[in-house]
Amino acid sequence: METMQRYVSPINPAVFPHLATVLLIIGTFFTAWFFVFVVSRKSTKENTLIKELLISLCASIFLGFGILFLLLTVGIYV
Amino acid sequence: METNWVFFVAMIFSVTLNSTISDVINKNLERTLDITSQLVKTTYKLTVEETSGKPLKDYEFIVREPNLSYISVKDGFNKKVEIEEIQENGSNLLKFNLTFSEFSSKQTLLIETVSTKNILAYPSHIKQNDKQLVKFVGSLYLYSKYPTYAQKTNVILSSPNILSHTQAKPFLVSSNKIFLGPYENIERLVDEELVIHYENQSPFLTVNTLGRTIEVSHWGNIAVKESIHMTHTGAKLKGPFSRYDFQKDGRSGQSAVKSYKTYLPASAFGVYYRDTNGNISTSNMNLLRDSVELELRPRFPLFGGWKTQYILGYNVPSYEYLFSSGNEYLLKMHVIDHIHDNMSIDEAVVTIILPEGSSNIELVTPYSIKRRQNDLIHTYLDTVGRPVVSFSQQNLVESHISQFTLKYRFSKISLLQEPFLVILFIYIIFLFTIVLLRLDFSLTSHFHKD
Repeated sequence: METMQRYVSPINPAVFPHLATVLLIIGTFFTAWFFVFVVSRKSTKENTLIKELLISLCASIFLGFGILFLLLTVGIYV
Repeated sequence: METNWVFFVAMIFSVTLNSTISDVINKNLERTLDITSQLVKTTYKLTVEETSGKPLKDYEFIVREPNLSYISVKDGFNKKVEIEEIQENGSNLLKFNLTFSEFSSKQTLLIETVSTKNILAYPSHIKQNDKQLVKFVGSLYLYSKYPTYAQKTNVILSSPNILSHTQAKPFLVSSNKIFLGPYENIERLVDEELVIHYENQSPFLTVNTLGRTIEVSHWGNIAVKESIHMTHTGAKLKGPFSRYDFQKDGRSGQSAVKSYKTYLPASAFGVYYRDTNGNISTSNMNLLRDSVELELRPRFPLFGGWKTQYILGYNVPSYEYLFSSGNEYLLKMHVIDHIHDNMSIDEAVVTIILPEGSSNIELVTPYSIKRRQNDLIHTYLDTVGRPVVSFSQQNLVESHISQFTLKYRFSKISLLQEPFLVILFIYIIFLFTIVLLRLDFSLTSHFHKD
């Protein structure tokens, strides 16, 4: 007990709302880019798979963390 | 000659018997009975002496009153005295064996007891405008295994309106106090009733069940939720209830509970007070220096026999109660918390929900509890479920507000499991889109010009 320290969150709870906003905006941007990219593709034969996978991975990482911090902001402490 | 020999053996026998029992006397006893609320709070200041001069090691203390909730024993130097309950079948007396830390022929004991449900409404049913009268039945003398040389009892009542009390001379009544005694040379195991019939308008609120849930999140928050069922256990309301009389007449419904105060930890935030209908808006919150004071007003005044139930919840930051070193964590929180002054809880069930992936759970409680089976609970973003530690205890009062410690192991990497679950879910949707766009669902083949 004596050697133990008080446990604080790895991220200050005060920045949860800002973090959620910023991450969700970036995530939405990547999602938009992904869909614009996919729809404006000229032909199905073009080899753009790697690029699509990378953009969607970025989008899901930002959206994933954004949703997590949104949950923490509204009081669902997961 | 033979009779002489038998007499001699009998003498020796009686001497050895006497030295084990009757050499110990209660030299002096000052007892204070506080029956101002629904609880019976007794403090004993007891001087015990071994008349033969031998050092006194242990003392047997008997509690006569039923529903004993709390007992604490200290000696004259404010040191804790070891206390052990003596199990005995077929008797409703509670016997405790007290072992002194220092052996001496003269010992001082400071004993505090709290018991519930020993002050009963008499009459048991009253009308809305009637006063609540109660009857307390206790013991006039100390019920002890040892003879008592001198004893005094001070009774503190809630009002100077005393209808009757046991007339054991000498006694003195002054305002809301009764001074009984001093009584001298009371033999051992003398059982004499002390009956006091008086006016007591203090709230007789009993918490029937308290469900306390503590949910630990390693994102820096501890959520506490208390689900409370409460009954007014004073004199039951007889006849009709008039809201007009209740609002207009100050003397009406004095024993009814209009509101009460709950004290939360100073760092509590996000407080809610609701029942099955939703938020109960009649509550006030004041931030004090060392606590948060909540003034709760139920949806209706509580008369005798009326019940209410509600949920009270709040959040506290984790740094107040959670300690860590590496992967080892220690949660230190109150087993139960303040609900209202002089509260009495019939049954409390405490549930602690730890983050997913916690292991090596060890619980240490300040007093004995009934441990329930460990369980798993599934809430937001869970896979295998969160470990749940749960225990219960009956008949609790304010003196039981003390801390438990819960040790567990949790790896910091597990904290990233939740965002990865969300990321994985979204990425699967994207992959699905990518695959779907590459499939050709048309019935006829089209030829596009590139």
